[in-house]
Amino acid sequence: MTAVIATSKLSKWYGNVLGLSDVSLEIEPGITGLLGPNGAGKSTFLKLITGQIRPSIGTVHIFDQKVQMNQSLFSRIGYCPEHDSFYEEMTGWVFLTSLLKLQGFPSEETRSRAEEALDIVELSAEKDRLIRAYSRGMRQRLKFAQAIAHDPEVIILDEPMSGLDPLGKRKLIRLIKTYKDRGKTVIVSSHVLPEIEALTRTIILIHQGKVFAKGDIHYIRDLIDSHPHMVSIRCPEPRRLAGQLLEEDYVLKVHFGPDGRSVLVETNNRDKFFALLLSLLVKDRTDVEEITSPDDNLQAVFDYLIGK
Amino acid sequence: MTSNPPVGLRSFLSSVGRVFAVFFRQGRRARRTRFFFLFSFIPVAVSLVIKFNQIFSGKAGREGAYLFSNLIMLFYLQMIILILALFYGTSVCSEEVEGKTLPYLITRPVPRAAVVLGKYAAYTAVMTGMVTLGLLFSFLVLNLDRLLDPSVYGLLGRYLGVLVLGLVAYGALFTFFGSTFKRSIFFGLLFSFGWENVIQYFPGSTQRLAIAHYLKSFLPATSSGRFSFLTFRLEATRPGVALLMLVVIAAAALGLACLIFSIKEYNLED
Repeated sequence: MTAVIATSKLSKWYGNVLGLSDVSLEIEPGITGLLGPNGAGKSTFLKLITGQIRPSIGTVHIFDQKVQMNQSLFSRIGYCPEHDSFYEEMTGWVFLTSLLKLQGFPSEETRSRAEEALDIVELSAEKDRLIRAYSRGMRQRLKFAQAIAHDPEVIILDEPMSGLDPLGKRKLIRLIKTYKDRGKTVIVSSHVLPEIEALTRTIILIHQGKVFAKGDIHYIRDLIDSHPHMVSIRCPEPRRLAGQLLEEDYVLKVHFGPDGRSVLVETNNRDKFFALLLSLLVKDRTDVEEITSPDDNLQAVFDYLIGK
Repeated sequence: MTSNPPVGLRSFLSSVGRVFAVFFRQGRRARRTRFFFLFSFIPVAVSLVIKFNQIFSGKAGREGAYLFSNLIMLFYLQMIILILALFYGTSVCSEEVEGKTLPYLITRPVPRAAVVLGKYAAYTAVMTGMVTLGLLFSFLVLNLDRLLDPSVYGLLGRYLGVLVLGLVAYGALFTFFGSTFKRSIFFGLLFSFGWENVIQYFPGSTQRLAIAHYLKSFLPATSSGRFSFLTFRLEATRPGVALLMLVVIAAAALGLACLIFSIKEYNLED
């Protein structure tokens, strides 16, 4: 398949601060997940490929055309920014039609495209309300609507699911997937692995401005599974609970918290561990106040990958 | 890809027009416009007070044309157009950066220079509307007894022209400030009420470094009256030269603003 987006040795410095370093990638049609912790360089990468900032070194091509100062190319790109920022005094309808006018559509087509986009994100009923009165979820949907309203071939979404409730996320994931079916090239950035996992198997792992890995999401999952999981349990009798847990061979280590009311468990089989914990809660009526997984996030995987 | 200049220019002007249409509508409906609309009507309120005072005191007082040119015009020239141009001009670029709405504009098929020019034109049109209405009402109130005299309308047209030129020149300069400085309002205030207010009264050619000097060159030199010090200028510039200078200042400031907005990478982070 031909690459739609191609970057070569792409690097960006903000003064002395490295934003992105030596990124050479080819992105094909379909959904690509851009995964990395906060500050990894995801937004910098997306700003570079949308021509918002210039590379310090390297090049970006979309459809074999240079992106920098190539405004005609922008009609083929839809971009959903990360920030929750709008022209607050506009209504949803005026916001969308204004941006469509800037795309250069005539009035009639502007209206029909705005109606269609609002329909897609289920905001038609709220289109005449001021944006400042929109809920966070509605604002996220409106932001998505402006990225797809002109029917671009490349859709770039920077953290599109932040602020959405689980139902909203599920709807948006379903919606984004329809663009893959229509042959579009979609890039979605997130720092939450399950969000990307629900969307695509093709991921780019980015960390400290460098592409760490590119490929199938199972590769990353395997890394997580082979990495011991940490589970913190807060309870009135941590020592008794720890004794019960250590009887199993998949519980590797326990550490007690300084407050004497919590235990940190290290396990290499999370599923079995939680099944055991559940049975202790139900059968032995063990009191548990809180269960958290301090490393159940992308940062922990990155820490593991880079050998921290 | 290269395109011949006329097509490129047409496309650029079309982009400017689209930006103008969007922001003229937004500018007219913005809350701050309502506030500044009231603000620009302060001279109307002053005119009404003067007129009512004349009517109810039974004293003839100064004639309308005198009050209009000495008091009301100076309200506009020394304060209102400066404040309007400062807030609207700096906001052309800075409101997109501070409001983090910049990505919506610069990821569209519109040159960044067209964004600056379109917004500047839209906001200048909004300001001109406000000032024209206020000036017109003040004029009518103060000249109620001379409305049938055609000569007074020449005065109105002349003063309105000066104010529009002021909005164009100051607006362009503050658009440049907004594209360049982080604290553009602060620098704008320093310029408006520091530099401009001082330098225009300097002798010799130094006074020509103030926009106000060129604006006042279109006004009749006031030789009498208690407000004469406000229109005082040491050496008038001929109106043709003054007009040329104002156009050059506006074009240079806008050109720089477009250039900076096109190449500068604004930091939208908190």
